[in-house]
Amino acid sequence: MTRRLIRGATLALATGGAVAALPLHAETTTATDPRGLMAAQTCAGCHGTKGYIEDSAYVPLAGMPRERFITAMESFADGSRPSTLMGPLARAFTDEEIAAMADYFEAQPKERARAIDPASDQTTGQALDPEEN
Amino acid sequence: MNRRDFLKILGAGTAATSSLAAPLARAERAPRVVIVGGGVGGATTAKYLKLYAPHVNVTIIEPKREYQRPYGSSEVITGQIELEDIVISYDDLKTRHGIEFVHDTVEAIDFEAKQVRTAGGQRLGYDRLVVSPGVSFDFEAIDGLTAELAETRLPHAWDAGDQLLVLKEQLESLPENPTVVIGPPPNPYRCPPGPYERAGLIAQWLLDRGDTQARVVILDPKNGFTTDYTMLHAWNDLYDFNIPEPARSKYSDEEWAQLTVHDNPGPIEWVMGDMGGRILSVDAETMTVEAEAGTFQADLINIIPPLKAGRIAIDQDLADDSGWCPVDQRTFESTRHADVHVIGDACIAGAMPKSGYAANSQAKVLAIQLKALLAGNDPVEPVFQNTCYALAGNTEVGMFVADVFRMDGDTIARVDEQRYLPFDATEAEYRLAALYQHNWMKAFTEDCFS
Repeated sequence: MTRRLIRGATLALATGGAVAALPLHAETTTATDPRGLMAAQTCAGCHGTKGYIEDSAYVPLAGMPRERFITAMESFADGSRPSTLMGPLARAFTDEEIAAMADYFEAQPKERARAIDPASDQTTGQALDPEEN
Repeated sequence: MNRRDFLKILGAGTAATSSLAAPLARAERAPRVVIVGGGVGGATTAKYLKLYAPHVNVTIIEPKREYQRPYGSSEVITGQIELEDIVISYDDLKTRHGIEFVHDTVEAIDFEAKQVRTAGGQRLGYDRLVVSPGVSFDFEAIDGLTAELAETRLPHAWDAGDQLLVLKEQLESLPENPTVVIGPPPNPYRCPPGPYERAGLIAQWLLDRGDTQARVVILDPKNGFTTDYTMLHAWNDLYDFNIPEPARSKYSDEEWAQLTVHDNPGPIEWVMGDMGGRILSVDAETMTVEAEAGTFQADLINIIPPLKAGRIAIDQDLADDSGWCPVDQRTFESTRHADVHVIGDACIAGAMPKSGYAANSQAKVLAIQLKALLAGNDPVEPVFQNTCYALAGNTEVGMFVADVFRMDGDTIARVDEQRYLPFDATEAEYRLAALYQHNWMKAFTEDCFS
């Protein structure tokens, strides 16, 4: 009996690190693409509303450069970047959705006040108004 | 004729007479969305609707002044956290997001007049009603179980609240090397990995106390559960748990060969449905549980009764014979009453589980759909996600299920393939999952309530 799981060991927290840039197949979308909002809001249950989070093991997504987001999702999906659950999740989204999510998160301000105050940031609501796209 | 049809006719008319002035004025006021229930589904709908459509008036009807989160609450029983750690204030929803609260219970819904009446006598009109009532318990399904006994001798502790403290006290008062019986409910139920996580937490608690001969017997009507593939494997390693033969099909031959057969098995026993695990009756006086497999004498009994939709949904004719609420799974509009949407544990949502994350994900989709519907637009094609974290018992060993869902015709279907930690997951991966589990409690709570 090995007791593999409870044996003390150094916890390797760094699952990310440097990842090679991958070619981007996804089409360019705008930050007000409703597909981006629909897909991106599913991340918020862990990564915070609009990708804003602090003091957490979860990576903040608000304000993340779109290329970085896309590279991360593609490398989670193909397994080149180790993960616990991001691999299966990343594989379940389309290239178009990933690009739209990337645009959405890049457009979100990093500061908490603007990120969650409906009065000072209307981009989220606008994404849902077809006439404003 | 509903109001939308009326307005269409009105718009096509040539002149508005004075008799039409009143309904016209009503149509111009801000849309009103009333939400019944201030749990994960109701709170998230309210917050995101205000983010996406700030002009909508949003009111939550909820009797409790503060929320107690059921997710992660088994850790109150085994003392990793206190009851106060699961208490969540509604202040952020009220002050930061401008959501109105009526702290009252719903007496009746008038679907024709589109009005909710509360026990305190208030009448709240709505353009769209959201009902997110959580679950209620079918005590009658198990002979000997009652709502009264659940408050004293036989707590289920499956909806937060003081029953957690009752169960905690019972655990702490147990004699040396006790027998604990845990009875998970049949499908579908809230928090699929939860009963098994609780069994693991209690087993670990007893081992930590030095009880080397304790028994934690899971009497289960089912042959599987979400995360079983990971949980059973972890128990095999952590607790000298022998995986029952009928569960062999969950693993490949190669994986099965790597599992250990323990000569002196540890505390946890899983009596699967096929092994007679279904509980028939319980006797709180003699502390015995009668299952198909036989009689079990116990020092602590924690049966989670079969679940159904929250009482309001059943009383107000939103549930069908299954005890759950049928909805259009794209918009969550009830198939029984128009302009009423049911989300969270209470609704029938295809392949989505009854979990906090699922309710949160449904609520955000609903916020988008409500904005569209209130503006007279078509609903948007939804995407959903669910993540459930669970602990093996040892709080540094975690696991998860992670799924993405899309519409398949009229039904919500799961689209991912791999959803658990792989069989050959490293110790670091189990520990990372536990770390994320602990962080998720705060992150998720903030997404719903702050």
